[in-house]
Amino acid sequence: MHELAGSFSTQINLLTPIVSGIANGAAYGLLGLGLVLLYKSNRIFNFAQGEFATVAAIVAYVFDRGTGWVPKVPYFAAIAIGVATAVLVAIATERFVIRPLFHRPRVVLVVATVGVALFLMGIEGILPYPQTASLRTISDVLNVRSYAFKVDGVVALDQDLAKLGALTVLAVAAFVFFRYTATGTAILAVSQDATAARVVGISVERISMTTWAIAGLLGGVAGVLLAVPPAGSVTPGSITGLTLTVAFSAAVLGGMTSLPGAFLGGILIGLIEAFANADHSFVPGLNSLPTAQAEVAVAVVLLLILLVRPRGLLGQEA
Amino acid sequence: MSADTQLLTGYDAGAARARFGGWLARAAASLPVLWLVLLLPRHADDWTNNAIFAAIYAMVGLSMNVLVGYTGQISLGQQAFLGIGALTAANVVHTGTNAPDPFTFALGIVAAVAISAGAALLLGGIALRIRGLYLALVTLVFGAVTADAIFTIPALNGNDAGVSAYRPSALQSNYSYYLFALAMVGICLYVDVWIRRSKVGRGLIALRDNELVASAYGINVLGYKLLGFVLSGAMAGLAGGVFAFWSQEFSDKDFTAAAGFNKALIFVVMVVVGGLGNRAGVVAAAAFFALIDPLLAGLAHHTGWLNYYTDHKAYISNIIGAGLLLQTVIFNPGGLGQVLRPFTRWFAGHRFSLHDDHGDAAAAALVGAGDVRA
Repeated sequence: MHELAGSFSTQINLLTPIVSGIANGAAYGLLGLGLVLLYKSNRIFNFAQGEFATVAAIVAYVFDRGTGWVPKVPYFAAIAIGVATAVLVAIATERFVIRPLFHRPRVVLVVATVGVALFLMGIEGILPYPQTASLRTISDVLNVRSYAFKVDGVVALDQDLAKLGALTVLAVAAFVFFRYTATGTAILAVSQDATAARVVGISVERISMTTWAIAGLLGGVAGVLLAVPPAGSVTPGSITGLTLTVAFSAAVLGGMTSLPGAFLGGILIGLIEAFANADHSFVPGLNSLPTAQAEVAVAVVLLLILLVRPRGLLGQEA
Repeated sequence: MSADTQLLTGYDAGAARARFGGWLARAAASLPVLWLVLLLPRHADDWTNNAIFAAIYAMVGLSMNVLVGYTGQISLGQQAFLGIGALTAANVVHTGTNAPDPFTFALGIVAAVAISAGAALLLGGIALRIRGLYLALVTLVFGAVTADAIFTIPALNGNDAGVSAYRPSALQSNYSYYLFALAMVGICLYVDVWIRRSKVGRGLIALRDNELVASAYGINVLGYKLLGFVLSGAMAGLAGGVFAFWSQEFSDKDFTAAAGFNKALIFVVMVVVGGLGNRAGVVAAAAFFALIDPLLAGLAHHTGWLNYYTDHKAYISNIIGAGLLLQTVIFNPGGLGQVLRPFTRWFAGHRFSLHDDHGDAAAAALVGAGDVRA
């Protein structure tokens, strides 16, 4: 990369950041969808979302490979089992942690989700499975070429397109769900006034459980799509460590109350990161940036959006 | 009986103070505690080493107590202040392989406190304008960015090899350094007591309980919150200075990536498990979380699980920490401090009673159904 210093290259300075930015952004968006869902419905930040994803990835991995006493099942069945496990974990979280704390200040719930994240991380860590492995990529499974197309030597990987596709479908589906279905409307009603919702006959408990189940589903889908090579793995806590903070920033940028916002914020943050990390030496004076430019850029964006427009790009209210 | 009715009737069981014999009994009862704190760490050198670490965590716990317990703000980036303190102290006392003279050492500790307080002022000045739970996100990002962008600058971390921070000759032995660390814990405890008893503390708690009402009574909302933030950052910075001379090195690896993230979470866990606003509980919980690793390692060694434990120790302490945290928020919001409270009240000269009707308001605030306070 450094021999090109001083001159602008379309490939290195434009195409590569765009492609990798959208790919990473899709990951942030996928995780961000679940964060937005729970903020929209419960007004909390769910720090356990990354672990819902990791649980799904680990379970999918052990069933796909058939490690230990676990039977080997076809790839897509393994994926389904993994996502279902994440849903069960999310439901258990709701039942045993969130519901007893329902009437406490929101900050207590947030601390409790931190506890759930730590707990799941610990359980994952003591389980005997190959902890540095990764899930198979979608192109490995289907036995096809690993990239869909190539522009100027920059490849668009199948797995990244799968992330983007899943993000688009889920964002649209979740948007439609909240806008047009009875359950979706009921979830919003409970979030605005639980007592009034109960008066008109909505079961607040069932709605809460449904919300968390959907969050688990979104987290699970994110997990099985993220835990693939080169960057992803089924290591305990890896999705929380690598993706969760950025996914939060993405969700805040898009607007914590907006599902399409999670999509938009995810892609934007992905692009910001990729361009911040790319080689800047063609810009005079920017050839010796400190390390962690991407992280600094994301932090600056987060601060600016919170100070200037706390409801985010597409959010309804602060 | 609530605090209000006590005021009306003028009756308070706790108001009866102990006489001479009572104080003698209390002095006798405190001997085992003193033995545990002062003499047990002397038993073996690695126990002393662990005890210093516990003292450092106690300081961090108290710094979290000021922030979370008194101001009601949550911080997921406290490890950054610990790191800033350690980095500053190590870089000020940069003597290579020689022991620094006492003055340089003191300068390092003071600089650690000052720079951390400055960083807290900077972060607080920006972050406290952000409302509600979003502050938790900002502190989370602050912690990660500080570690990854500042601690990794080669000029500050000894070109990635770590900056040595040797102790002055008077504190060379682990036990004498432990006594020094205890004195620093004493300073933090004193500041905590002072905050709690002064106008500052009452202002902070009034703010925590209801910002609107407090500001209507003329409390400077931003100023007080900022003061709480800075005091908390300064305490964590002091802990960081002590940390640097404990490990005799500053290394960015203690604060970046998973190591830093884990510290941030454990600090939140220990203040909640200890009991928000309850200094005895917080110190005990902090010491517990600092000692959990050597204690379990010892247990695993005697039961033949040492290899398994060594491979999984981070995860095992995660599970214990998370279990205690969830247990506390769901079943016992007053935390360890609430459990210890009959004893701490007795030691303070009150009559021993398991029923403490006017326990700390912090626990009540955590239990109560307030609005978003983060």
